[in-house]
Amino acid sequence: MAKRVLIVDDALFMRTMLGDIFTEAGWQVVSEAEDGKAAINEYRIHQPDLVTMDIVMPEMGGIEALKGILSEFPEANIVVCSALGQKKLILDAINAGALDFIVKPFQSRQVLEVVDRVISG
Amino acid sequence: MDIAKFKEMFLNEATEHLEIMVNILLQLDSNPDDPEGIDALFREAHSIKGMAATMEYGETARLAHHLEDRLDGCRQAQRISGVEIDWLLEATDLLGLLLSDIRSDQAERNVDRFIVSTPKEQVADATVVDEPREIVPDSSKKGVLIQLKLHDTVAAPGPRFLVLLKRLTDFGTILKSTPSKEDLLQGEAPVQLLVRLETDLEQEELCQQLEKYSELKDISFPPEDEPAKKQKKQPTGKTVRISTELLDHFINLAGELITNRYQLQNALKKRDWNELDDGVGQMVRLVKNLHHQVLQVRMVSLESLAGRLSRTVHDLSRNSEKEITFETDGMDIELDRAIVEELTDPLIHMVRNAVDHGIDQAGTVTVKAWRERDQVLVEVADNGCGIDPEKIRQRALTVGLLSSLQAKSIRNYDLFQLICQPGFSTVEEVNETSGRGVGMDVVKTAVEHVGGILSIDSSPGAGTRFILKLPLSLAIIRVLIVESDGTRMAMPITRVVQTVEIAAADVQSSGKQLMIHYLDELLPLLSLRKILRRPKGDPHDPVSVVITEVLGRKVGLVVDRLIRQQEVFVQRLPEPFDQIRGCSGGTILGSGEIVFLLDLQSLFERRRS
Repeated sequence: MAKRVLIVDDALFMRTMLGDIFTEAGWQVVSEAEDGKAAINEYRIHQPDLVTMDIVMPEMGGIEALKGILSEFPEANIVVCSALGQKKLILDAINAGALDFIVKPFQSRQVLEVVDRVISG
Repeated sequence: MDIAKFKEMFLNEATEHLEIMVNILLQLDSNPDDPEGIDALFREAHSIKGMAATMEYGETARLAHHLEDRLDGCRQAQRISGVEIDWLLEATDLLGLLLSDIRSDQAERNVDRFIVSTPKEQVADATVVDEPREIVPDSSKKGVLIQLKLHDTVAAPGPRFLVLLKRLTDFGTILKSTPSKEDLLQGEAPVQLLVRLETDLEQEELCQQLEKYSELKDISFPPEDEPAKKQKKQPTGKTVRISTELLDHFINLAGELITNRYQLQNALKKRDWNELDDGVGQMVRLVKNLHHQVLQVRMVSLESLAGRLSRTVHDLSRNSEKEITFETDGMDIELDRAIVEELTDPLIHMVRNAVDHGIDQAGTVTVKAWRERDQVLVEVADNGCGIDPEKIRQRALTVGLLSSLQAKSIRNYDLFQLICQPGFSTVEEVNETSGRGVGMDVVKTAVEHVGGILSIDSSPGAGTRFILKLPLSLAIIRVLIVESDGTRMAMPITRVVQTVEIAAADVQSSGKQLMIHYLDELLPLLSLRKILRRPKGDPHDPVSVVITEVLGRKVGLVVDRLIRQQEVFVQRLPEPFDQIRGCSGGTILGSGEIVFLLDLQSLFERRRS
């Protein structure tokens, strides 16, 4: 059965791009979310194998959402996405429990490598 | 294997911590109830311990840990005794020796005897005996050492290392990592991660797991005993710490220079003189800026030197039972590292002289530094008994440094310079005045070697002041360019007192010697042509004269022409030309002409001998 991913990003463009990468690699994109609150809800509903989480989003940011999800589902596999130059945020996210990170702009190869590591590890 | 890199870093940082410890101790000496000082001291010892333990320098770590324990006791007591301060100062000396052991790749000396010598106050002995073991790594629990390096292209090395560090915790227990998780979280972005991992996995399995990270350039397992052996060949290279801010400036400047280059090429192609003019103006600004920034890299403050001087005074006043107050001012002034290094010993020597000979029972020694345009002045002064010019006069006559005629006419300023003459006070008669001359020739030589001038001022009962006039930098300096027999030559501006043009009619002669009046003095005139053994030229009127100071006396140096002052980049001459006396380097002018830098000091010495 195909692995299931939840894509969280406030930019439609990023969601679409990530969605394409995952679909091409044989994943099922179970849902998308535009902010942290929606992300927690969608996680509860679908409990996917993986979440890609943007860090900077309106309403509730990625780090808070990440903590929210992990407090309910400690086994959740979450990878954060962040623009170059947000090193501090990435560090905080990892410290809060993100398993890995992807730096935008990214290539599909890089995304899939990170994802494979997280899922197989 | 990059352990050598860490060693250098460790040594630099540990030395800094040690210097700070000494400074705090000296402050505590006059104010023993300062809890903040004791806290700071504790933190310094703690830092050294942490670093030394990480590097597995067992004895250093053990001593630092012992100091930390001891200071913890002082922290609780909120005070530190004089006995303890002295003991702690000795401890910092020992730490210094341990660091030099490490630097020279020798086994660290044992610290047992010193630890036993701990003064018995305040601290319970139990903690002293028990705890040091804890930080010496247990060999049965050594784990495996893993060294990870990232590709240069990896976008966020710090976070990447953090992920790797977290990943490694899935395979075992991390005993130690350099940098630590906390350092990484603080934003440190190292070139490599060194982890000691206690794990059941074989190296191969670990490798397989780690190879999933294509960001990794290199995964290695450095053997345990390798570091010590490999370092043997490592020369103690000189490293400079430089702020990332400064590096960013360089990168920006380099970028701007590239833009500038295209602007100039473009202007040249179009023969657009206005734009060319703009471009050159821009380049002048950029190069000046670059020069300024580059100098910063080599600059160090006098702070660390102040610590050593203060320590010297402390030790001397204890030993001699004199009451000496030591004051410093302007120690944040920055100078070329090479100059500070060259002058460290001479300054210590001068301070020592001030305590030993300048001050009788109680007094103050002051070291002050300040900037005057592109020079730095350092003053070492005491308020002791001063030097009696009469005694120097007598002595100079006895030793034969002055003729009786000279002894009458010589000014005090020049008279004091005589104590810097080699042999002035080496004769056994060491009294208050002659005692001051011990080694002053060495001091003066060092000051002049870096292109500076030493002047001395004193009067009986009013103390003594030594003033060092120093250039800011050794590499890029301001020079006066002169011409003699068609050749241009340069001399450091710091060596020039003044340039004057004198009507030929105003030159007087006293026997064979030509003299001029300068202010209220009569100065001998020397011809640069003659010194350089060039043919005599046609007489000039007016005569161009450079007033300079050599061997403690002002002289007028006659040159054909005074050209101009400018900043030049001085390069040392390669072998065997570096042996040429009277020439301390060379520089290439904008016109492509090579100009040699005159070392007046040795030129005149050659002439005299």
